[in-house]
Amino acid sequence: MKTFANSNAKSLQDATRRSQQARGAGQHVAFAGGGSDLLALIKDRVISPDVVVNLKTITNLNQVSRSAAGVTIGGQITLDALSRNETIRKDYAVLAEAAGSVATPQIRNVGTIAGNVCQRPWCWYYRNGFPCYKAGGNQCFSFAGENQFHAIFGGGPSYIVHPSDTAPALVALGATFRIVGPGGERRVPAAEFFVLPRQNASNENVLADDEVLASIDLPATTAGSRGHYMKVLDREAWTHAVVSAAVVLEMEGDLCRAAHVVLGGVAPIPWHLPDVEKMLSGQRITEELAARAAETAVSGARALSKNAYKIPMTRGVVRRALLHVAQVA
Amino acid sequence: MSQQNGTKSGVSAMKVVGQPTPRIDAGERVSGRATYTRDVYLDGMLYAQMLRSPHPHARIKSIDLSKARALPGVKAIVTHENCNVVWGAGSIAGGVQYSDDIKKITTQRRYAFNNPVRYVGEPIAAVAAVDRHVAEEAARLIVVEYEVLPFVLDQEEALKADAVKIWPEGNISPDARNQFQPVVQKRGNIEDGFKSADRVFEARYSTVMCHNAQMEPRSCVAHWEGDKLTVYTPTGGIANCHHDLARDLGIPDEKVRVICHYMGGNFGNKNQNQDADLITAVLAKEAGAPVKLEFSRKEDFIGMHGRWPTVQYYKVGVKNDGTLTAIQLRTVSNMGPYRKNNGGVSGIELYDCEHTESTLFPMYTNRTTAANFRGPNDPQGYYPIQSHMDDIAYAMKMDPVDFVMKNMTKPNARTQFTNYTLDECIRRGAELFEWKKRWKPVPGSGPGPMKRGAGVAFMSFRAGVGSSSAVVTVDAKEQYTVYVGVTDVGPGAKTTMNIIAAEELGVPLSRVNVVWGDTDTCPYSVGESGSRTTTMTGEAVVAAARDLKKQLAEKGLPTGTAILKASATPQPRIQGKIRNCFGANFAEVEVDTELGTVKVLKFVAVHESGRIMNPLTAASQVKGGVAMGIGMALHENMIYDQRTGIPVVTGYYFDRVVTHLDAPDVEVEFIEADDGYGPYGAKGIGESGMITTPAAISNAIFNAIGRRIKDLPMTRDKILGALA
Repeated sequence: MKTFANSNAKSLQDATRRSQQARGAGQHVAFAGGGSDLLALIKDRVISPDVVVNLKTITNLNQVSRSAAGVTIGGQITLDALSRNETIRKDYAVLAEAAGSVATPQIRNVGTIAGNVCQRPWCWYYRNGFPCYKAGGNQCFSFAGENQFHAIFGGGPSYIVHPSDTAPALVALGATFRIVGPGGERRVPAAEFFVLPRQNASNENVLADDEVLASIDLPATTAGSRGHYMKVLDREAWTHAVVSAAVVLEMEGDLCRAAHVVLGGVAPIPWHLPDVEKMLSGQRITEELAARAAETAVSGARALSKNAYKIPMTRGVVRRALLHVAQVA
Repeated sequence: MSQQNGTKSGVSAMKVVGQPTPRIDAGERVSGRATYTRDVYLDGMLYAQMLRSPHPHARIKSIDLSKARALPGVKAIVTHENCNVVWGAGSIAGGVQYSDDIKKITTQRRYAFNNPVRYVGEPIAAVAAVDRHVAEEAARLIVVEYEVLPFVLDQEEALKADAVKIWPEGNISPDARNQFQPVVQKRGNIEDGFKSADRVFEARYSTVMCHNAQMEPRSCVAHWEGDKLTVYTPTGGIANCHHDLARDLGIPDEKVRVICHYMGGNFGNKNQNQDADLITAVLAKEAGAPVKLEFSRKEDFIGMHGRWPTVQYYKVGVKNDGTLTAIQLRTVSNMGPYRKNNGGVSGIELYDCEHTESTLFPMYTNRTTAANFRGPNDPQGYYPIQSHMDDIAYAMKMDPVDFVMKNMTKPNARTQFTNYTLDECIRRGAELFEWKKRWKPVPGSGPGPMKRGAGVAFMSFRAGVGSSSAVVTVDAKEQYTVYVGVTDVGPGAKTTMNIIAAEELGVPLSRVNVVWGDTDTCPYSVGESGSRTTTMTGEAVVAAARDLKKQLAEKGLPTGTAILKASATPQPRIQGKIRNCFGANFAEVEVDTELGTVKVLKFVAVHESGRIMNPLTAASQVKGGVAMGIGMALHENMIYDQRTGIPVVTGYYFDRVVTHLDAPDVEVEFIEADDGYGPYGAKGIGESGMITTPAAISNAIFNAIGRRIKDLPMTRDKILGALA
């Protein structure tokens, strides 16, 4: 790896200041949470920062705290701690399950929620140093190449899939991201945090230079709110989702008052399914409705040369995740 | 037909042999005290970094080292321009190593640094510097001008008349007579066989490259003291590595010492010497200081070797009663640009068939070299033939177990075995597995969407005898020491030799020390490949211990600092018979027909490997082999980008080797036998569990869904594609 300087941040403001200063001196900067993925990228020279700003040294950013409006999750909480947190398990099961499904126990012990949401794509072209859009180049090698794991929704000009398990859960829960930057802080709904390649081919989200994802606010849940994260992997552990679904249903008896369905592993961003949500709201979830919803879920899908299997797989995941949450046998 | 019945009944109990014995080095290994090659630090040691080809095929026009040499801390750089060492073990001719005689006949050579370079990842240069970072920076400062050449990745493309020529003679790799011809093996007359058939079945199968993916990537420390070279390296055979290094470097054998006290896995990837050893030795000489070279995981994946991909075309004739009359096979293997092993596939010999014909095209391509991997010719051979035979069994309305029992190899006038238990392995396996209960007479008949199915596959693997050496000593306190040239690639060779010595000497394990892993102190051992070490080196330990006992009986214990010493190099031979291990694996899978996932629910492995020396490590070999076979069956594939010729599967994450969660609880049972050969009748076990597994999984998936997947690995896309 290229030699870099480690810079321990004392606060979020300090972190952005350190980043600004280094960039002002013509240096490349990266923020590190757990660093599990960052270090691998640096070792493989996919990225070569001169300065790594360490966010782990900021105190009080690794808690889940309750407020009147819901809960706030510090960006530096580990995925393991998040998946075991009582409040999250009880009221936001979809997020606890998503966090607990990430990678391996070793990675969950150091990887953070902010890092998971902001991680770079796991496309094998990007990770192997091809000069693709994500590396600042001007082509996507997967389009006419090995695209077994690539996007069936929202692709072009890059066809990566967003790798985060927690991101679809956060979108389904209606989370708000607090971003701290040189100009102070701003709040962005989770659904607007992620951007398609056609808006920005080289970045997956709206974070500007020197900006940090500080914390995540989740709205209070209603009494009948139930959720589930279903993930299909390429083996039983340690792969990103081939297809996943984060489902939150606000139930009233056996009626679904409102539905939130977001897919992972199929698009460059967490893939929200408003048409499916519409057809479910106010309905009783039956086998038949779940099957129709699954059909609707894939109606806009477009396969590349080697990933058509993701379409029936998505259908199966949506159908089963809905039935699981609605507790239909 | 069987010579033994039931578990253990074939052999009488022994005192130490056959007792569950923990590894003698387990404490060192799990506590971090074991010294692996990467843990070796020598005074003044430099660190090396390789520069590798970014192109699948290119001629090096020039290499400019000026900037790299100018970097402070850089001590030596080697390239094809100042290093012309031939890596003898890096390529072979038709299965034969490049001995001096073969070198006189053949024309092609693999050097430590080649020009042109013929695959992405081929070494261009190596730098030695004061630390790892300087070495890495220096490698990046080397400026190489390439003439990029067209390339070919696919073995069937490479066979076409208008294909890019990787070597001047063409893309079929040569045999030991330097002939660029396919390899043909025949028995009987294939046309007669098809004439006597009632039905003929044809199929095309393909298998892909899987990497050995052993835990410890390649590394080496080389150190010259005057004209004597010491090499620390993870090798499965210190003696072979030692001889290879001396030959390739042009120095006498006694001027080389090879040390490997601990190594982190092999699976066929660390036999002989490696280019890393030669390059480190040359760098150390050039720099006048010890040098350590460490491959990254990515370098180990693309720079070493994996299993050869194949395309196999089968044509099989069968009578209405299910008797095989003819088996014809055409195989095209993908060897990469150097042929590091034979490229063949096994399987036909598993069947008792009068007329067989096999034609093999071992093709050069611009991919990472292919060579030994746990059962070099076997799992990628067994999967096609045993899948195809399974299909034939269903077509002939036969239970696959009955079809196997009818057609499998048996003792007859043509083939005699030292002992034969294949029938017993299959019968016992079917019983333990509850085959009749789990197997579905109508494939795919489960109600779904979760469909279960059962499959069987069987194996026989050579367990030949051969020569190794051992030395056993005893001192005045009656403490024994065994000197053996083993390194323990995983199966527990050190512990096995301890067990065998204690048994033969009639003393407890604790009275015997084992000295291993150093060519200056240990005699020749065959090298840990081909499941041979227990049989061959174990037999030498028995012979040396017997000799020592005789000396003790004559002379009594030595006194003072004197020792008694016995050496043995037995030359066992078997006349007119084949000595094999046998085994059968049974798998039950559950296929999720909506999601394309496959779960292995139950796995039974019944194996005969002669007498079992240590049931703990023997069972672990089978379990580990089954897990590895599941990875090959369902996941692993070293994929290349077709347009650039660059590999995209370059490490554990993308390779999808199985995790603990993917490995089922494997029920292992041994049928023990003593055929009078090897130490107390021991045979090999290292390959048995692995090679039988992909075929068993393939047959179980077919039984579950009623569709045959004819291309490995059987990933989600192929399952869903077959069901669409």
